Amino acid sequence: MTLMVLTVFSVALTLLGFFVSVPLYKRLTILGLSLALLSLLLTWGRPFALGPYQVDGIAQVFTLLALLGALWTVGLVRSRRFEFYLLVLYAALGMHLLASTQNLILMLVALEALSLPLYALATWRKGEGLEAALKYFLLGALAAAFFLYGTALHYGATGSLLAGTPGEGPLYALALGLLLVGLGFKVALAPFHFWTPDVYQGSPTPVVLFMATGVKAAAFAALLRVAAPGVPDALTLLIALSVILGNLAALGQQEAKRLLAYSSIAHAGYMALALYTGNATALGFYLLTYVLATGLAFAVLSEVSPDRVPLERIKGLFHRDPLLGLGLFVSSLSLLGLPPLAGFWGKYLVFSEAAKAGQWGLLVLALLTSAVSAYYYLALGLAVFQKGAAEAHPRPWARSVALGVALLLILLGLIPGAVLPALAAG
Amino acid sequence: MVILAILLPLLLGGLLLLGLPRTLGVWGAGLSFLLNLYLFLTHPGGMAHEVTLPLLPGFGVYWAFGLDGLAALFFLTIGLTVFLGALVAQVEGRFLGLALLMSGLLLGLFAARDLLVFYLFFEAALIPALLMLLFYGGEGRLKALYTFLLFTLAGSLPMLAAILAVKALGGSPSFLLEDLLAHPVGGSVAFWVFLGFALAFAIKTPLFPLHAWLPLFHQENHPSGLADAMGTLYKVGVFAFFRFAIPLAPGGFAELQGLLLFLAAISALYGAWVAFSAKDFKTLLAYAGVSHMGVAALGVFSGTPEGAMGGLYLLAASGVYTGGLFLLAGRLYERLHTLEIGRFRGLAESAPGLSALALFLFLAMVGLPGLSGFPGELMTLLGAYKASPWLTALAFLSVIAGAAYALTAFQKVFWEEGPRGAEDLKGAEWPFAFLTVAALVLMGVFPGFFVKGLEPLAEAFAKILGGGA
Repeated sequence: MTLMVLTVFSVALTLLGFFVSVPLYKRLTILGLSLALLSLLLTWGRPFALGPYQVDGIAQVFTLLALLGALWTVGLVRSRRFEFYLLVLYAALGMHLLASTQNLILMLVALEALSLPLYALATWRKGEGLEAALKYFLLGALAAAFFLYGTALHYGATGSLLAGTPGEGPLYALALGLLLVGLGFKVALAPFHFWTPDVYQGSPTPVVLFMATGVKAAAFAALLRVAAPGVPDALTLLIALSVILGNLAALGQQEAKRLLAYSSIAHAGYMALALYTGNATALGFYLLTYVLATGLAFAVLSEVSPDRVPLERIKGLFHRDPLLGLGLFVSSLSLLGLPPLAGFWGKYLVFSEAAKAGQWGLLVLALLTSAVSAYYYLALGLAVFQKGAAEAHPRPWARSVALGVALLLILLGLIPGAVLPALAAG
Repeated sequence: MVILAILLPLLLGGLLLLGLPRTLGVWGAGLSFLLNLYLFLTHPGGMAHEVTLPLLPGFGVYWAFGLDGLAALFFLTIGLTVFLGALVAQVEGRFLGLALLMSGLLLGLFAARDLLVFYLFFEAALIPALLMLLFYGGEGRLKALYTFLLFTLAGSLPMLAAILAVKALGGSPSFLLEDLLAHPVGGSVAFWVFLGFALAFAIKTPLFPLHAWLPLFHQENHPSGLADAMGTLYKVGVFAFFRFAIPLAPGGFAELQGLLLFLAAISALYGAWVAFSAKDFKTLLAYAGVSHMGVAALGVFSGTPEGAMGGLYLLAASGVYTGGLFLLAGRLYERLHTLEIGRFRGLAESAPGLSALALFLFLAMVGLPGLSGFPGELMTLLGAYKASPWLTALAFLSVIAGAAYALTAFQKVFWEEGPRGAEDLKGAEWPFAFLTVAALVLMGVFPGFFVKGLEPLAEAFAKILGGGA
């Protein structure tokens, strides 16, 4: 059903683009995404399968998160070209597909379907953006090749194209490793993260929001399926590298989007901790808090400027516009994982998964690097209170959204139990 | 009732942050104090007012609160100190709101019966403390803020690992304290778990050499002393060692006891040493705090019931007298716009009331019999002597040194002849002075009344460690 809604709207809007005005087009896109979201919620908790397209719990939770990201992006952007909205819609379709299949070939198709629109979106700004997008495209193509190679080896080792088929032997291990590389690139796990800072800095902020939320959600759904029979040993290394590199590199950043790019690498590392036990609820909750918090941060930044946002430019934001300032403050504290904000429970849940899996070394490393991260999250969150001449020209609803999401982050922090059963039921 | 006592200041704090007038905060703090006083006076002994609500039942986390004798005592002292601060600190409504918010979180921390909920409050109390420093602090506040934050997090995140480990490896079904105590961890795990806790709590005690954040924190905070008083109440390390770290991993504690006793003794001595040469009021109080907490920690680390009771009583009492002294420093600053000890002189002549109040506070800090500092120090001495006579002797040199630095400071500020005069107590400072002195005297003359709730807890504590009276 969700698939149908998304497909119908994508195709119809492709044709309509030449006939209707852009504001109306934007509304139609929002309508399409909302309907998809609604169809998802209506069938919540009821699995559905049609051939390789299987909407199970994982698919529902992670599609929900991806759609939230897509909606937010479309809402934020002020593009005068209809193609922007269409590309987001296509990417959302790809994300839903990626989250809803076990079939490796279909996964590859979905991966490309979500990546191609993103390559285009990344080039939305000329100049610096172009270079970043080229990097993104070349590395992305390489990652897809890795994924394809992994698929082939997987078939060779197990005789099956279904992700999650148990197997053994060096060929199987290699296959899993290659699949991991392909997906690790999309979620920005180190050492496949080199595109992240450049692309985050160079792309328009709403697009970055989409990359940080939607893409991560969809790719983690696929990772959950691939890693279901057992996590490859290499993952330990990837996580360790991600949390160390991400957090340390973020320390010296003076530009907010680049800082959040490194933070997203670190968060990918934290999220991957949940793969050890394959607990989709813990990962889903973490992603939910991450989508809300990082989405809020990017949303505030995009009200300040659609381009680069040096930390200098958000100094004094609180005095200029208290709601936006508070929004950024709350979101950075949540990203840091300070109780009583939602981010804390996300961290708590994935960390306790790592504890269950007996990964004490990784756990301690993750916690220590979290302490390091306090430094840069505070630099970001406290900048809004410092003296400065920040400028923002927010649309009225942007303020309400900032307030709403900030409250949601606090509320989820106080009663995380309210949404966990729903996530587990999905 | 407990929930109400915790929510009341949180709610009031929130309202004040939204811009309600300061007067409401003062009345609210008074109400909160009365409620806590009522809870303390009607406390039946044992664990009372238990509440357990699900937070994340699937993961064994509950909003579990209860009031035992220990928590009730701290409810009283926190309520009192916050009320005193609200009475006299001339700060705007939002500042008071942050203080109330923090007091609610601290109450939650003391009443928590679930390890993760304790952690939640422990961390959350950091936020108002940071905001007070950020909005109302001095020139170098950012450095102080970062130092404070990084110290705290460097301790509390390893503690989170320890919390996860204690449940996962002990096999407890939940984070409720009674469940965790029924499923202890042993062997090398206990060592690492204890180390995780110990780091966090040693920073919050603070024990030498992890005290470096404290002087900066006090120097940069608002001169009214309200934030400093709240910071003093936030030094919950000794309590947390007693309530959580040691009972949950007694094996780990046993291995580190010698080191901890040594560090506590060094803290006591070192704090007193630096306090003696301190040039300004807040630095003096900060290091005096380090010294006193060293003594209190020595009591708890001794593992004896008397020592633990003494240490905890000292902690509770010092919340009032150190908090009171910080507030007093705020009063002096308002009159003379300086905190440098050498720049006051001879205030006793022009401000006899203020001088009398200061004398009471300083003497309580010194541990004069009959005032609130003495019973705690005495019991600590008795208990700690059993564990380690030499270290106790060393640490108690700091008590003598305490008399030296405190009385020297008092003499300089109030007695020596000088040209400067200051206004005497006025307005709300009178009730502040009376309440403070009453608390100091009552806690000093009737210690039995205040510690009776601690006795069974201290016995149980010593029993876990295999000792006991």
